[in-house]
Amino acid sequence: MDRLLELGSEFWVASAETLYMVALTLLFGGVAGLLIGIGLSTTRPGSLLSNRVVFNVLNVVINFFRPIPFIIFIAAVQPLSRLVIGTGIGNNALIFALSLAASFAIARIVEQNLLTVSPGVIEAAKSMGAGPLRILRTVVIPEALGPLILGYTFVLVAIVDMTAVAGFIGGGGLGNFALVYGYRQFEPAVTWAAVLLIVVFVQVVQFLGNWLARKVLRR
Amino acid sequence: MALVELRNVSKTYPGPAGSSPVVAIDDVTLEVDAGDVYGIIGYSGAGKSTLVRLVNALEPATSGSIEVDGREITVMSERELRRMRLGIGMIFQQFNLFNSKTVRANVAYPLTVAGRPKAEIGARVDELLDFVGLADKARNHPDQLSGGQKQRVGIARALATSPQLLLADEATSALDPETTHEVLELLKRVNREFGVTIIVITHEMDVIQSIATKVAVMDRGRVIERGDVFDVFSDPQNPSSQRFVATVVKGIPSPVELAVLRERHEGRIATISFRDGDSSQASVFLELANAGVEFELVYGGINDIQGRAFGHLTLALRGPDAAIDAALARIAARVDVTEAR
Repeated sequence: MDRLLELGSEFWVASAETLYMVALTLLFGGVAGLLIGIGLSTTRPGSLLSNRVVFNVLNVVINFFRPIPFIIFIAAVQPLSRLVIGTGIGNNALIFALSLAASFAIARIVEQNLLTVSPGVIEAAKSMGAGPLRILRTVVIPEALGPLILGYTFVLVAIVDMTAVAGFIGGGGLGNFALVYGYRQFEPAVTWAAVLLIVVFVQVVQFLGNWLARKVLRR
Repeated sequence: MALVELRNVSKTYPGPAGSSPVVAIDDVTLEVDAGDVYGIIGYSGAGKSTLVRLVNALEPATSGSIEVDGREITVMSERELRRMRLGIGMIFQQFNLFNSKTVRANVAYPLTVAGRPKAEIGARVDELLDFVGLADKARNHPDQLSGGQKQRVGIARALATSPQLLLADEATSALDPETTHEVLELLKRVNREFGVTIIVITHEMDVIQSIATKVAVMDRGRVIERGDVFDVFSDPQNPSSQRFVATVVKGIPSPVELAVLRERHEGRIATISFRDGDSSQASVFLELANAGVEFELVYGGINDIQGRAFGHLTLALRGPDAAIDAALARIAARVDVTEAR
């Protein structure tokens, strides 16, 4: 317990780092995933902009990257990370790898949720003379908004989980803090402090997500 | 003048890999005049939903010509088709309202698509919600409405851009009889007050009976019979049409029904078919009475379609055979008589 008090400032820095990594990953991965997911669901045969080639390419790419365990994925994309953001280590390198991995997962979640929109509703919009992009923007996404928010909440929790391995490439955050100061130094209280904060954080995120989805779905 | 004209239209879907293509619409020719309420009836899978989607090009035709308001739509670009669809409203069996939008926003949607100015949209939406009697539900969401109310929102939305033509795809099939009646009455008002031509797709003959002026009967992608509702109802030619008509009109008893009638009633059994303008029932009954034939009404009824009456009355006749023969012969000179053997 005393050890935890000594580490006070490191603890708060680690917390801030986790928030930083989660926020930026959600931003980059979230936007990229949304775009890829929309691409998947609208190019699917029989959809608004059905295009077999684009659909198959997206589908294969996602299926290729999705099963790679994240800790291996980080190492595998290190050269690419150096090329794109100039570094292969640290918090920013983790954000790069995590955004990439998350965007594939988010793409699937977006695709699944957009597919739940009834084809009849889309047909109704078509019968009123609306074009595909307008239908996507004003019908498909609004109709799927509730489940989309829940999907993003789910992903956000998974992202918090994945930031814990940042230490592997020299990044920080609560996961690294728990490993370095708690686990390796035989200080269970330190580990548990990190665990507790992560649990609180996840609870808050889940609560907000549920609340927002309920508001959108009016239930 | 024909508002919608289909000439030799076919629609084929590629079948599952390795099998032959599926013919959904097979060489259909059809004319819908402006102001008509045109019913298209058929069993599920007959192709009627596909047919109605050819009219607003939600499904492209494989061959043939489709003219709407004098313009050939099979050659239009996607952009032209979208503009054309602004002039055609459509309502659906499952209503297909936008659940994420309020009733007001649902009705406003086609006006936004049409690029109308905001002020005009507001006024038009009020007018439409008034017309369908849902002004007090403007701020509600569709999931707070009953089925009948949802379809009324659907109708208001379909009429928003003041289309000349309304396509109703099984619009009452998900509703109970009471609500069906309400929605059909509303559609009649749409036709009467705004002069909107309506194409009604249904599998229920009583829907046709209550609102249509013309009817086409579809079976396996083909139109097998078409004409004025009165003509098709009072004298259906095709066996499939006869089956549909039989669901709402008690016609000539089938062999099974005849057996039951014979068990319960003595004497000879004959069906007399009346059509509007034919000799009256009174004169027929008088003929039988004068001939000393005792008769009893055992089956059938008289129907009213748009103010014109027709029907089939099956009578059990008792008396001397010669008298019955003579009376039936005299009656047969004026109306159709079918004696059951």
